Amino acid sequence: MNVMENVRTDSSPQVMRTPRSLNIELTARCNLRCTYCYFFDNPEVDYRDLPTEDWQQFFEECGSLGIMNLTLAGGEPFMRRDLRRLLDGIVRNRMRFSILTNGGLVDDDIATFIASTGRCDYVQVSVDGASPETHDVCRGKGSFERAVAGIQNLQRHGVPVTVRMTIHRHNVDDLENGARFLLEELGLPGFSTNAAGYLGSCRYNANSVMLTLEQRQKAMQTLLELNDRYNDRISADAGPLAEARMWRQMEEARTQASPPMANRGHLTGCGCHWSNIAIRADGAIVTCTMLAHMVLGWINQDSLEEIWLRSPDLAQMRQRHLIPLTNFDSCQGCAYIGYCTGNCPGLAYTLSGQVHYPSPDACLRRFLVEGGTIPRLHAPIHAQTSRTREEVPV
Amino acid sequence: MKSTEIPIANPVAVLREEFDDWAVLFNPDTAEAVGINPIGVVVWKQMDGRQNLDQIVAAVRERFADVPEQAGKEVSVFVDDLARRGFVGFEIEAATL
Repeated sequence: MNVMENVRTDSSPQVMRTPRSLNIELTARCNLRCTYCYFFDNPEVDYRDLPTEDWQQFFEECGSLGIMNLTLAGGEPFMRRDLRRLLDGIVRNRMRFSILTNGGLVDDDIATFIASTGRCDYVQVSVDGASPETHDVCRGKGSFERAVAGIQNLQRHGVPVTVRMTIHRHNVDDLENGARFLLEELGLPGFSTNAAGYLGSCRYNANSVMLTLEQRQKAMQTLLELNDRYNDRISADAGPLAEARMWRQMEEARTQASPPMANRGHLTGCGCHWSNIAIRADGAIVTCTMLAHMVLGWINQDSLEEIWLRSPDLAQMRQRHLIPLTNFDSCQGCAYIGYCTGNCPGLAYTLSGQVHYPSPDACLRRFLVEGGTIPRLHAPIHAQTSRTREEVPV
Repeated sequence: MKSTEIPIANPVAVLREEFDDWAVLFNPDTAEAVGINPIGVVVWKQMDGRQNLDQIVAAVRERFADVPEQAGKEVSVFVDDLARRGFVGFEIEAATL
């Protein structure tokens, strides 16, 4: 089936002249080898770093284009010995930055420096639980203590810190302790969650880290309840909490026979390419770090502005929201089709080999057919509800 | 020191022209962003530290048709608002010996 058939003919949003923000993988090196890492073990990526000067030259281009924010990731950004010079370059070119890190290399000196720039929106540290037992099992011995020390160094200097908790088989039974530790003991204003997804290294460790259906359901239920208890201090753009919210909304629409929702029923699961673009550690300009194979050009060789406005691949990504889910065999006859977004193109690509395709991983109908149930907010934590296959709406 | 009535754009602030002639003014030091319309963009570009408000309003009249009578007041309010938010400063009068 040609997925570009039956595309909507209404006008697309206008493309802004330059991206507002960039996701930059500053380095392909990391001090850890987490078993579910999305970054490593991607056969389509060349894992090499660029010299300081190349990044500095690129930051000048970014500044001249009025880009506002750079999110620095890796690998592990603090592996870069020239990180201070790079941050200086970002500041000099009138931009702000955020850093995604495992926290293990954030010492007092670098925390002081980051605070001194006055340009850091946040540092996001990965913490998977309340103890080494739930964190180190996937991230390596000693990584929990070092991550917590990193957070405390940042907090001491007033740098905004947030945490990303990746939910996997070894922490799913300890989410309450994880939330208590992060929100009460560390005093974070909030934290975000996702789940180990079938990308990068995780593909080789899926059976030992990815949530089973029962665990996924338990994670959804627990996170909904915890978020309620902690007054919406737990967030998610993907993973069990995001799915729980989305699927409850979709189920409610189905039971009420609501008309199709605005911006649903098409591949609308991602709108990043309207405001954001990504750069790999080797300088490749890509649509998204989760679509690292889609190389649009190279920094300092190609004009970022030209790529942003005229790349055919990017233009096609921006047309993705016009592709109806009815184009896909896997969506035929689904009762949720008018309420569904098709979800993440990155996961769709790893699981199906196609970018312009709905992600099977976040398919509500599939989840229900396999025996899952949609969580209820006020069910007791860890309550398991049952549902027969006959009840599954398809 | 006494300030003049000559506004000058904060050199740290970034003008992002996004759609048509609309733009976002962004102050990376404070993370504050303000959306401005095409007239605001013209005003911003005139705040080079050499023109007073009357001259800036004249530039607006030159650029746009049917500019209303009260445009001067509106430009003044706009510039004052940007000054309050740290996007604009005013030239300091040179000291007289």
